[in-house]
Amino acid sequence: MKFAKREEFIVEELSELYKGRGFKRYKPGCFEEYSLYQDNKDFLIGKNVISFSDLSGKLMAMRPDVTLSLVRHIEVEKGATEKLYYNEKVYRQATGGKNYKEISQLGVEVVGAIDLAVVAELTVLICRTLATINENYVLDISHMGYTEGLLSEFGADKQLIAEYLKSKNLHDFNKLAGVRGYSDGLKNAFYTAVSVYENVEVTLQNAEKAALNDSMKSAVAELKDVYAIIKKFGYVDRVNIDFSACGNADYYNGVVFNGYLKGVPHSVLTGGRYDRLLTKLNKNGGAIGFALYLGEIERYFAKDDESVDYLIIYDDKTQLAALDIANEKNKLSQTVRLSGCLPAGLTYKNIIDLKCKEAIK
Amino acid sequence: MINIALPKGRLGEKVYSLLSRVGFNCKEFTPESRKLIFKDESGEVNYFWVKPSDVSVYVELGAADVGVAGKDIIDEYSPDVYELADLDMGKCAMCIAARADFKDDVSSPLRVATKFVRTAENYYADIGRDIEIIKLNGSIELAPVLGISDVIVDIVETGTTLKENNLKVIGKISDISARFITNKAAFKFKNKEITAITEKLKEAVKIYD
Repeated sequence: MKFAKREEFIVEELSELYKGRGFKRYKPGCFEEYSLYQDNKDFLIGKNVISFSDLSGKLMAMRPDVTLSLVRHIEVEKGATEKLYYNEKVYRQATGGKNYKEISQLGVEVVGAIDLAVVAELTVLICRTLATINENYVLDISHMGYTEGLLSEFGADKQLIAEYLKSKNLHDFNKLAGVRGYSDGLKNAFYTAVSVYENVEVTLQNAEKAALNDSMKSAVAELKDVYAIIKKFGYVDRVNIDFSACGNADYYNGVVFNGYLKGVPHSVLTGGRYDRLLTKLNKNGGAIGFALYLGEIERYFAKDDESVDYLIIYDDKTQLAALDIANEKNKLSQTVRLSGCLPAGLTYKNIIDLKCKEAIK
Repeated sequence: MINIALPKGRLGEKVYSLLSRVGFNCKEFTPESRKLIFKDESGEVNYFWVKPSDVSVYVELGAADVGVAGKDIIDEYSPDVYELADLDMGKCAMCIAARADFKDDVSSPLRVATKFVRTAENYYADIGRDIEIIKLNGSIELAPVLGISDVIVDIVETGTTLKENNLKVIGKISDISARFITNKAAFKFKNKEITAITEKLKEAVKIYD
């Protein structure tokens, strides 16, 4: 399945969308100190980074990610926000790939004072971003406060339960629950987190009822507020609450986004609130953002129409005549391909064969 | 339309038999056939007949929306999929086996022969035992017999092959059974169909197994 639009049109439309909301283009350098990625490798999708020594002997890296550079270099005054978008190449392993790849990544970040309006604006921007590529999309929203709150109740089993949550694995959870003797409340909280309901409001009500601690309760309260706003603006049909998606708790602390497009077998957009990354980098304030992995969906975009209006075949005696005809056709905004023979694989609407000295239409 | 990847062999035949009983019959389906794709009469499902260890690949990459894979394969490859049901069939265990006279010499790394490299590495990392992996693709039991490994990590169903080669089980890593898995994106876009087929399959397992 292919999307209706070509990649460059989508990038242009999205840039206009972000500029329309006052987001400034951010352009990072291609290289960054290796230590930035080494210290924060769990924030990265792939753990491997292309590294090299620069002319002064300092260990540098080709950037595998834009967010880390952006957060490191941006200074925001207290109480203010910086709104930025980028469209850059990153260098990392492609999902499932065995080698490094240059991957196009487009993203949006807000750094500074993050309030409800920012979270809701970003959620709407994600819906509009996905819809720009394909109207048939799904946005899953989760919340680290809910998932971390839930997992903290399982003590030493936390890691195992996180795996069950991520893969919606109820059967192995039930086996473990039988062995450990989990309470009904704890089991119910896990069932609620794993289940997907068609109606977001019902999901949130159930999540509220099942909440076991303050972290889970305040997460549901925030999701309810965000949902009320996006509902007001008409972006709810394609939004789900799904707590099986959870990010790395060392970096993420609030809402988590996962975007899917019909026809693509993996998520194409990820993001969320990552105040803890700022804390790790000794910065104040919060941050929220998302990245769209254009490079991993490039095969789904419509391709350029490579056919030409006219193919002109010439020989030694008709070279000048061929150039003349080509110029005339270009003046009429028609595309022309000059060739001494029939180019393999080329499609054309008309052919002028000057070797035969007659035009075939 | 749901695309289902079934593992070639006895397990796949059993799962197909369950699915056919709950409405997804496919007249042209015969395990002996050389065909790899079968369509059911209702037009609701397509069956793909694939190598058992490849089911999770087909599902993760979205060629199949759902599939049946052994827990051993899921543990080994950690595919990014949802695991919707334990079909309670194809039961066996991931075990450690060694020669009957084996004694662990903790002063040197344990030589482990296996097909399941990650499973073995994760297990021994968890218990803090230093190992050397010998990756084999079949007849794993031969490795300790010929002295190229101290132990093997492999699936044990009845234990007959081990006995015949004078080996014994010295530990169990995990229980294995067939799992019904789904591609994550397919689960979003075909939620009703996938949920329905999961429920029907769970019911069928209870009734007919």
